Amino acid sequence: MGLIQRVIEQRKIPTIGITLQKEVTMKVKPPRALFLRYPFGHPLGEAFHVRQQRTILIDALTGLETIREPGTILTPGYVWRRHAFD
Amino acid sequence: MGKIQDLKNAILVQLFKHLPWLAERWARGHQFVEGKGIPWAPLGKPLRESCIAMVTTAGVHLKSQPPFNMEDPDGDPTLRAFPADADKDDLTITHKYYDHSAADRDINVVLPIDRLRELTEEGFIGRIAPTLYSFMGHIDGPHLKTLMEETAPEVAERLLREGAEAVVLTPA
Repeated sequence: MGLIQRVIEQRKIPTIGITLQKEVTMKVKPPRALFLRYPFGHPLGEAFHVRQQRTILIDALTGLETIREPGTILTPGYVWRRHAFD
Repeated sequence: MGKIQDLKNAILVQLFKHLPWLAERWARGHQFVEGKGIPWAPLGKPLRESCIAMVTTAGVHLKSQPPFNMEDPDGDPTLRAFPADADKDDLTITHKYYDHSAADRDINVVLPIDRLRELTEEGFIGRIAPTLYSFMGHIDGPHLKTLMEETAPEVAERLLREGAEAVVLTPA
C-alpha cells in the first residue's frame, strides 16, 4: 500500500496511510503513516465501534496537517480491544 | 487452487492475524521494494476546506464489478473504482489473504465511508472526493511493475482530475 501512496504523493497530493505493519512501512517509506498494533483486517478497529473508527480516522486526517517531517509514523498506542475510546 | 492449499492459506491468515510477531518476523525476512527518498507534498489548505479521497488495498469492490483474481499467487494489480456515495450493501470484499469477517459485517473496519461522511457533515473536512479506489494487497512478482507503472499512476492521475486535495489510504 505504501508503494501506491508514494506514487500519489509524487503527483503532489498529500497522503497518509494507516498501517498495521511497522516493519514494512519503515522499509517502503511512505511520506506519512499512522501505525496501530491491531490484527490484520482491522485498520479502523472493531466492527460497529463508531468511536474507535472515528478516532482513528481523525488521527489520520489530523496527521495530514500536523506532520512536518517526511517519513513520520504516528503511533497513538491504542491497545487492541482494551483502549477506551470515550 | 487445491483444497489443501486453501486450508493452508486459511491457517496462515489466522496465524498472521493473531500473532503479530509472526508478521513482523516475516516482514524482516521478506524483500520489499524499499523506498529511495521520500516524496512530499504539503497540505495546501486546512482540512475543513479540503477535498479528501480514500484509497484502500483491502479488496473492496461493487458486487457488480469483477472480483479480484485470487488464483494468481502474485495477486491482482488491477483497480476497482466506485462512487464515494455508493450504497454499502452494494459493496463486497474479494481477498483471501486476510480475515475480512469483521469488514464483511461493517465495511468501515477497512474503508471508513460512514465516518468520513459524518466528518464532512460536521465540517471537519471540506468534502469527499467523488470516487473511491480499491486494490487488493498482496501484490508481488511481475505484478509489482504493473502496479507501479500502470494502475497506481492511473489512480494518482484520476485523483488529481477529480480535485482530491489529500488522500487517506487503508490497508487490509
